[in-house]
Amino acid sequence: MVKWLRLLLLVIVVALGAWAWVALHPSPERLIRRQLEGVARAASFGPGQGYLAKLAGAQRLADFFSTNIEVHIDVPGHQGHTLAGREEIQQAALASRASVQSLTVTFPDVTVIVDSDQESAVADLTLQARVSGEQEMVVQEMKATLRKINGQWLIVKVETVRTLR
Amino acid sequence: MTETHIGPGPARRFGSRLRILAIGRNPKTTLIRAAVLAAVCLAVFKWVLLPVRVQGISMAPTYADHSVNFVNRLAYRWHGPRRGDVVGIRTTPPDGWSAPHIMYFKRIIGLPGESISFVDGRVLVNGQTLEEPYEKGPCDWNAAPVTLGPDEYFFVGDNRSMPKEQHFFGKAERNRIVGKALW
Repeated sequence: MVKWLRLLLLVIVVALGAWAWVALHPSPERLIRRQLEGVARAASFGPGQGYLAKLAGAQRLADFFSTNIEVHIDVPGHQGHTLAGREEIQQAALASRASVQSLTVTFPDVTVIVDSDQESAVADLTLQARVSGEQEMVVQEMKATLRKINGQWLIVKVETVRTLR
Repeated sequence: MTETHIGPGPARRFGSRLRILAIGRNPKTTLIRAAVLAAVCLAVFKWVLLPVRVQGISMAPTYADHSVNFVNRLAYRWHGPRRGDVVGIRTTPPDGWSAPHIMYFKRIIGLPGESISFVDGRVLVNGQTLEEPYEKGPCDWNAAPVTLGPDEYFFVGDNRSMPKEQHFFGKAERNRIVGKALW
């Protein structure tokens, strides 16, 4: 009986150790997923925000992108659009906060492929957005390229992908 | 002297039967059965029969907005997708056996190698009109022929009375098909 208890205790200690190791040394993929969750949180906003809160939210979102970020948007029924630079991202975020009451953004399906040099990665993701007052949600396949800059994974390029061509 | 056997009263018998009905004769066995059933349900609905809620009107009137269905991931295990099948299409590249949380719900109208076009609302497959009993509303779509590759299918929703620009349709590879709608 004592032998089994010791074995059980050993298993628990090993499992806790493994969990602690993973928690303290997250893989690049985990870090990128966390970063994308942060982007979704920063892009979302609720109703009744003051100007300063809107500005801070837009700044928080822009911080996830590199200074030379490129965003290519090409969706059916709309003219293609490109944003370049962190400044334009911030302005677009501020404009969206001014034009709609609330927005909820999530990335429910994310696939991350990290390059062998562990310095760059590509994330294929599905964007799901709910705009207040709109009955239908927006679903869009996207591809994000990330690069490790000063120890932080930043998004350097985002483009929409046509699932059905 | 006579002996009278006094059995449990009706109330006690009822309580005992209720207990058996609820937790079985052997609670330990019942617990194991319940755990196995829960595990099987979890596995089936997570990896095989994916529950989906239809959002939007692109598949109306076949599937109404907010209707519920299941996507059977084993449907194409022994044969390929067929014309007329309603399928779930993943919006991100395949990632092992993991199930997507979001997918498009469309009907297959074109098979690999075929040429698909829309002329005055009619679908032409290799120049021949496709009979579509599921398509009810008026349609005036026109679209140039699209030739499908050896691994490509053409998908479109049943609601063609909505503007073409607001309707997601087109071709995608076989590995984007998650499974077939159960009904």
